[in-house]
Parts: sequence; C-alpha cells; structure tokens
Amino acid sequence: MTINRRQFTALTAGALAAGLPFRVFADETCQSPYMPKITGQEEYVYVWTLGVEGMGDEQDKLVTIDLRPGSETRGQVINSFSVGGRNEAHHAGFTSDRRYLWTGGLDTSRIFIFDVHTDPSTPTLHKTIDTFVKDSGGCVGPHTFYALPGRVMITGLSNDADHGGRTALVEYNDDGDHVATYWMPTAADMQGAVAVDGAVADGYGYDVRALIRKNVMLTSSFTGWSNYMMDFGQMLGDAEAMKRFGTTMVQWDLHTRQPKKVFNVPGAPLEIRFPWGANANYAFSTAALTSQLWLIYEDDAGEWQAKAVADIGDPASIPLPVDISIGADDQTLWINTFMDGKTRLFDISDPHNPHQVYEKVIASQVNMVSQSWDGKRVYFTSSLLANWDKKGEDDQQYLKAYTWDGSELVEDFAVDFYEQQLGRAHLMRFGSSELYG
Amino acid sequence: MRVQVSLVTGVLVVAVLAAIGLRLGPFAPAPAPDYFSAAFVKGAEFEFDPPAPGSYGLPAIKSAPDGEVLDIHGETRSLAEITEGKISLVSFVYLMCGDVNGCPLAISTLYNIYDGSLNVPELRGEVQLLTVSFDPARDTVEAIEAFHYPVTSDPDAERKIEWDVLTTSGPEALQPILDGYGQTIDLSNNQELISHLLRIYLVDRKGVIRNVYGLGLIDPRLLMTDVETLMMEEGRR
Repeated sequence: MTINRRQFTALTAGALAAGLPFRVFADETCQSPYMPKITGQEEYVYVWTLGVEGMGDEQDKLVTIDLRPGSETRGQVINSFSVGGRNEAHHAGFTSDRRYLWTGGLDTSRIFIFDVHTDPSTPTLHKTIDTFVKDSGGCVGPHTFYALPGRVMITGLSNDADHGGRTALVEYNDDGDHVATYWMPTAADMQGAVAVDGAVADGYGYDVRALIRKNVMLTSSFTGWSNYMMDFGQMLGDAEAMKRFGTTMVQWDLHTRQPKKVFNVPGAPLEIRFPWGANANYAFSTAALTSQLWLIYEDDAGEWQAKAVADIGDPASIPLPVDISIGADDQTLWINTFMDGKTRLFDISDPHNPHQVYEKVIASQVNMVSQSWDGKRVYFTSSLLANWDKKGEDDQQYLKAYTWDGSELVEDFAVDFYEQQLGRAHLMRFGSSELYG
Repeated sequence: MRVQVSLVTGVLVVAVLAAIGLRLGPFAPAPAPDYFSAAFVKGAEFEFDPPAPGSYGLPAIKSAPDGEVLDIHGETRSLAEITEGKISLVSFVYLMCGDVNGCPLAISTLYNIYDGSLNVPELRGEVQLLTVSFDPARDTVEAIEAFHYPVTSDPDAERKIEWDVLTTSGPEALQPILDGYGQTIDLSNNQELISHLLRIYLVDRKGVIRNVYGLGLIDPRLLMTDVETLMMEEGRR
C-alpha cells in the first residue's frame, strides 16, 4: 500500500496530537486537533438523544451503540444513560484527553459530563454543571464543546437578557470550573475587530474551530433561544423572528481570544470544518437559510477572506444544509440537507471550486453526519431541534450506518430511536477502548 | 541488565536530542530585545508571530497541586514550595521516550528557553523550568541527575534561568500531581512506552496555572510572551 502526502500529513497530525508514535488514531474527521483520534475501527458510537414526552422515560439520554465487528451486539443499543429531564439535548464534545464527553442542553443550559474512559462501552455521568448561565455572566445555550489543552471552549447560542442571538464563547477547565467568557463582537462594540466588506457584527454564535499553526479561530452564527425553542412552522411565519438569524463569521486570535475580523456570511452559517493538510489554510461552512457553501481562506497576501463557493441543492427550495463532515484527505465533504433528507458529497479538491458528485436520500429528515477516519463508514442521525423536527410520519428518528466504497452509500444497519422508545437522535461521537491502553 | 542498558540508551537518546537543541540553536550574540520573545528561537511548526506581551489576559485556569518530589540530589521537596514565588514552566516527561514529537520535543524547547535566557537577564530569579518525570520506576534520582548533566555542568548556568529536574518516590506520590495538573498518562500493554499527551503548564508565583500548552503551541517565543505578560501584570516589566 502506498501513502500519499495528504494521508501522511493527516496521520502525522494525529500522531502529533497524541504525542505518540502512530498508535490508535482516529475517529471521525471533524474533531479538535488537540485530542487523540480513532483512525482505526470505532468501537462505539455515543448518541446524545433528546427525550420525548410520553416516550420511554421521557428524559434526555446518552445512547451507546456497539460498532465492533464480530460482536454479537453489533448495531444494537447496548447502553443508555438518562440524565433526569429534558434539556433540548444538542451537541457534545470530548476533552482534549478524550476521557470525558461534555454534552449540552440548549434549553436549560445544563452541561452533563460523561466518563467514557473507565469503561468505553458504558459511559457514566461524572459531573453536571448547572451554573453555566451564572458562570458565564448571562450566556445561554451551550452548543459546541471544543477541546483545548486542559480546557473546553464552549459556544453559546443566546443570552438571558433577551433570549436573542447575542452570545459568547465560554471557557471552562477540564475539571468543569469556569475560566473566562468572551462576548462576541457587535457593531456597537467591535472589541478591536475589523468589519470586512460592510459586515455588521451581530454578536451571534454557533460553532467554533481552530487552525493552530495559523493561530486562527473561527466562529459562526445561528439564532437565539426565542427562535430555536419556537415551533418551526410558527417561526417561518413570523417575519420578525426570521430577521433574528446570524449573518456573520468571526476570525479570532486563538491565543489571545480576541476578535480580529467580522465577515459577512448571510443566512446563518453553521458548522465549521478545517482540513488536515499541512498547507491547507482554509475552512468550510454552510449557510442554512441561503443554502450556500462558504470558504473562509487565507489569500496570497496572508489575509483571511470569506466567499460563497457553491450552491447546495436548489437554494430556492430551502433544503436547509445542516451538518457537514470533511474527509481526512481533504478531498470530499459530506453535506446533509434537513428538509429533503439528503446527504450530498462535494468534491472539494479545489476548495475554491467545489462541486457535488453524489447524493442520496437517507430518510424523511436528516441532520448529523459522522465518518470514520478512512471514510469507509458513514453514520447519520435525524433530529435537528425538538420543535423543528418534522411532524407525523415524517418525524423519523434513527441512527443509520452506511458503508462508502467511493461511489455508493450502502446501508449497513439502522436503529429506530422511536421504536426503541429512546427519543430524538442528535449528535454522534465515537468511542474506543484502544484509546486507553 | 537489559533494563539498565535500555535506561542508559534512553537517557542518551533524550540527552543527544536535547543537546542538539542546546548546541545548534542560534543563541548568540543577540541584541537586547524589546520583547523577551525576540531572544528565543521560533518553533519549526509555527506560522505566526506571538502577540505583543501585555495586550491580552491569561485567566486563572486552576490551582497547581502540591506533592512530594525528589530532586537530583535525592532530597524530598514540596512541589508547591518550589513553584511559590517564581513563574514556572512545568513539564512532564519520561526519559525513555523515543518519540521525537513527544518528550524530546518538549525538552528541546526547554533547552531553547534555558539557553535563550542568557540574553534576557531580567528573567534570572524570576522564571524557572521544572521538569517532572512520570516514570519514577526508571527515572530514578541517578537517572535524572545524569540527564541533567548538561545543565549542572553548564559554565553559564548562573546567568540563565534555573531548571530543576524532578522525579518521585513512586506512583503514590506521582499520581496526585498528575491528576492535579491534568497530565494524562496511560501505562499501556507495552511496558516500554508510556502514552501521554504532551503538555507544558505556565504557573504563576501564587501557584495558579495560567496557560496549558499542547503540541502546536510549544513555541519558545509564545511561552516567553506569556511569561512577559505575567510579569507586566505584576508590574515587574
């Protein structure tokens, strides 16, 4: 087997992050570069799941599904840990040592920290943070949990003053103690940042990712509590509510946590993904409402810029792009669109000219996508937000596992989360006992 | 006997790698810098210049733990007493580590800082390096003393920042220190290797951790910029 430069670079990056010779590596491709990755076979997938009133125990829960080849329980739910209520379970992320999984609730702003290293097949609740709003000075809706050495950077979605989209980055140490809060820049308080091409800093937040060697951190922007907790149909008919979506991305100095540039990225830019290549100085994001793929890149003069580089489906039909997943070789990007239930594969080998090369309907609705490091196994889940998911028969809730041979997704197994009385399946993270010796 | 040979070999590997950092770095002569960082070597992986010291804050992350350690003379000392009153860059290594992107990288960086400090007299007595072994079984007092020989025999040592290399009496003394700092190690099936995440900790004079550096952040200029930021915060710069 030969290994090309990009593969070598990716493997090296994983090795460097682990501080080890090539050992376990890697997991899916969208994790913080500071943490060890599962580059081999993922053994478990943890699904942060929203409880549903009248279903099972009605509580949010962390569901563990067995992915071990040859296991008698492969493709089955082997554990479920309920956290004692409904919190609008949403996203989750590991600490940089990958021993703990932080999971957040967008409604209650509670954070549940699971121990995933003592027994990776059976996560247990290690600690609950009930003071996120107070700790942060008014930030609401902990969303992305991004591992930094010894710390976790958390993006908020809202605030407790008006429950709109103005929000902050909030930093905790790995023990679960608050370290600092960094409010997003606004037009009234740019905090030294520069607005690019007339961008109006809205102060909104959503995702956070970093390119360490460039000292660049990027954030995106969604909407506040008053919208994400509203019924989706009601919100679409509320002209004022529809004005309250993010239109910016912010470039930060990673080391100082200071905002540097505000880019105009209309239509609620959501997930951010940096590639792994040693010379790949760019990131992708997708704007949900305008259905565009955006490139944030360093130009020849060393300045970071943002531009739309492709449509995703037919923007006029509002397919609503949601989660994305970049290949470890930086050549492809999976993009899910919630409304038509499709996943789409884009060729991003030329990041300035990406184009769609494949699409497949996964279900009536689809939200999250995660892939193994080698890209051969791709997993999908269904839930966007409790009040935004489809109604009736179209409200399918699942985890579906596929194999990808380079030209076709073939379904491997599926877990029906409603049939099993679990709830709405949202974020996935992989686990492996190999990470812990 | 095999263990002894491996130990000596391991120490030699690390020492040679460290010596590369010691002897090949472009340290002298250097003009008096405006910022401390100007006196230190840029890390190979870095594609950015450090920010201006004092232009940002370093929030308290957590208190650094105490614990009993052994110095190269075999004396039992309190880690908290060692860190008290000085700004410390605390690192955890094991001398058998053969991964060039692991402990040797950290040690090479520390040597760059140690040698670069010759050109920044203000650092003397204010800043120190502390390197703690997480392999007490093999990194005995004798082993760390041998490892530290390039520093203890350095004729310019009195004009550079202090550097202590420490070990512990065993796992019971070591583990609370590792847990307190958040330094993860994994004694895996392979007895020769200790899996770990490369970390260096910036600890202020009051024993509070003010920054944590992982791979990609271990640049002598960046570390010393943070040191200078702390000294400016204290009004000592």
